[in-house]
Amino acid sequence: MNLRRLSGIAVVIGLLMMGLHERVLAFPVDGDQTALPARSELNEDALRRPREVFHSEITGRRSDLIKLGNLAFSSPSILGNVAQQAGISCESCHVNGAGNARLFVPKMSTRPGNFDTTGPLFNPKADNGVLDPVRIPSLRGARYLAPYGADGRMASLRDFVRNVIVNEFAGAEPSPAILDAIVAYIQDIDFLPNQSLGPAGRLVGKISDSERRGEALFAMPFPHDPGLSCAACHIPSAAFVDHSQHDVGSGGLFKTPTLRNADFNAPYFHDGRFDSYDQVVAHFDRVFELGLSAQDQKDLVAYLTAVGDAAMPYEQGAGATLKEIDDFASLLATAIPAGDKETVALAVDTIGGELRELTEHYPDRKDTSVPGGEQERAMARAALKEVVLLLRRIDMAVGEGRITDAADDYRNYRSLMVAAVPSILAHADRWSLFNAAVHDRHYEALRQVMQSKHMPQ
Amino acid sequence: MIGKRMALSLFLALAVGARVADAAALDEAAERYRPYAIEGIGSALAGARDLRERAAARDLAGARKAWLSARAGWERSEVFTAGFVPELDALIDAWPNADSGFHTIEAKLFGTGQTDIGRDADALVQHLDELHTKLRDMPLLPQGLLDGTVRLAYEVGESKADGGESRISGTSLDDMRNNVAGVEFAYRTVFADRLKEVDAGLADKVMARIGELKTIVAAPDLPHVNVRALRRVSEELVISLQAAAAKLGLRRPTLEAQSR
Repeated sequence: MNLRRLSGIAVVIGLLMMGLHERVLAFPVDGDQTALPARSELNEDALRRPREVFHSEITGRRSDLIKLGNLAFSSPSILGNVAQQAGISCESCHVNGAGNARLFVPKMSTRPGNFDTTGPLFNPKADNGVLDPVRIPSLRGARYLAPYGADGRMASLRDFVRNVIVNEFAGAEPSPAILDAIVAYIQDIDFLPNQSLGPAGRLVGKISDSERRGEALFAMPFPHDPGLSCAACHIPSAAFVDHSQHDVGSGGLFKTPTLRNADFNAPYFHDGRFDSYDQVVAHFDRVFELGLSAQDQKDLVAYLTAVGDAAMPYEQGAGATLKEIDDFASLLATAIPAGDKETVALAVDTIGGELRELTEHYPDRKDTSVPGGEQERAMARAALKEVVLLLRRIDMAVGEGRITDAADDYRNYRSLMVAAVPSILAHADRWSLFNAAVHDRHYEALRQVMQSKHMPQ
Repeated sequence: MIGKRMALSLFLALAVGARVADAAALDEAAERYRPYAIEGIGSALAGARDLRERAAARDLAGARKAWLSARAGWERSEVFTAGFVPELDALIDAWPNADSGFHTIEAKLFGTGQTDIGRDADALVQHLDELHTKLRDMPLLPQGLLDGTVRLAYEVGESKADGGESRISGTSLDDMRNNVAGVEFAYRTVFADRLKEVDAGLADKVMARIGELKTIVAAPDLPHVNVRALRRVSEELVISLQAAAAKLGLRRPTLEAQSR
């Protein structure tokens, strides 16, 4: 019920990673000839975001099924034509397993962080004629969070994933193997760990008085309906969900979202209408006549912030991308000898796309917003391009049945990616877009150029 | 033993002789490329001069047309600009930090609709004029031209999902078409004949891939360019040209101008 919405609450993402989120946004789309509307903002690389924490990291090595799922999740080729043309994959919206609070597509979003999955852009057949965007949800802990969809209309994650691919994004019917793989990958994404949460979802360790009072308020029955409380829907011992839908005065029945990691999941409510926990708590106070004092509201916000907090594992520089690419490429070790053209093509297409994107993190000499490091940047770009070509050679060889040639090229690829390429990239790091100052100068220059297009003439 | 040595010496002499012949033939072919290079930059220069005049006359439509004409000449010439004249290349085609060059002017003409571009147009004309003059006696080595051809072939396959480099004027697809035309002309003029002699099959592959690229960029607009096919064919073309380098007695082409 109501408090479910409480879930969605808290400190705006913008405040979370303060300073960093104030930075210039990235990947703005513009011009008259783009698959996405002008002024779309994918913002895939602008934020310094925590990487995923995977269940398989605890239990042992990742299975090939999970790796294949990750590959497909990152590949535009499983979606429909518009998404492919725009370079959109599942990963574009669910960055590092979370949401994408900055994603904005004109006429499909009403604010950054939400998106109309039944709009006309990606699949006109799915267009319901209404601009009704939903918040892009985090996938962390998804295996605990059935049912799926903001309205909880699907009990099965597999059905939900298929629906996204086929209906929302007009992709071809995925093979059962690809569907299984994507589901396995999503189910492998864990919540980020929060040391303040003990067994049964109670706060433990150094807890402030305000957080403790907030925890008590959270469990307290509502004055006008003692059968209700925040904790009745956001059950602390059950990942703060009750697997049900409720009407909390936001315009319909929506499922209870988890509060775990919620500090990183703004905006809140099914349509992302609220930026902060303060706004969410105020909403519940008003709708359910809770009679909360200002201090009560502060205490609840403090509690939610403590519950929604997490340790955030960051990886700087190109390391995270290279690690993911390494996972993808490891699939080739079995796909090449098996002559599995489909998996090889998917891997080459996806990894090549990621590597080309990574190349652009090392601006060429024409980008005069980046002072210095020309030689290092050129070396980084050249190295990444060579690897792209090596992968393409593998694809060509497997396509032509030259398995031994492909295996040789794969060995060369592995040998380059073990040390040489990471080392070359590390040398260029300070002049790359992984350096905050360089990043901001580059995108500020880009933004200024594009703003000129929208100035009144 | 002596016989073997003599045979080896003869083989080496023949091999070296063949390489010298290859080199001479390619040098000659590279020289045949010079008039085209001069014409391409000459066309860009003429467009830039026209642009300066139209802008001075506050003729926005005329200035935009002249910019497009100048840009087309430039994009066809990118086979050699980055490798042979990197400093001028950076001044003429800086992106996105448009302090000078085509994109500064593009933002004003096509963005804000201003014709107040006198200083920028002067600089563009000056830089293109300098390049045009240099081209008359600048050494045009086959290796450099193959490097440039390969780089441009790779660049054509880059994503334009964000609107591409010329997104303000909406002419990124024209850039791609002119790039492909530049690749084709450089290949046909400098390398095609010799490659046909030494490996006709590879020569056919190169031409087939250039043909595929031309078909892909003939799409009516950027959103209809098959980006996956474009990337695949661009990479396959680069791989074929890398293989051609060995057959032509040239070094493996570099993918970045300063990285050799």
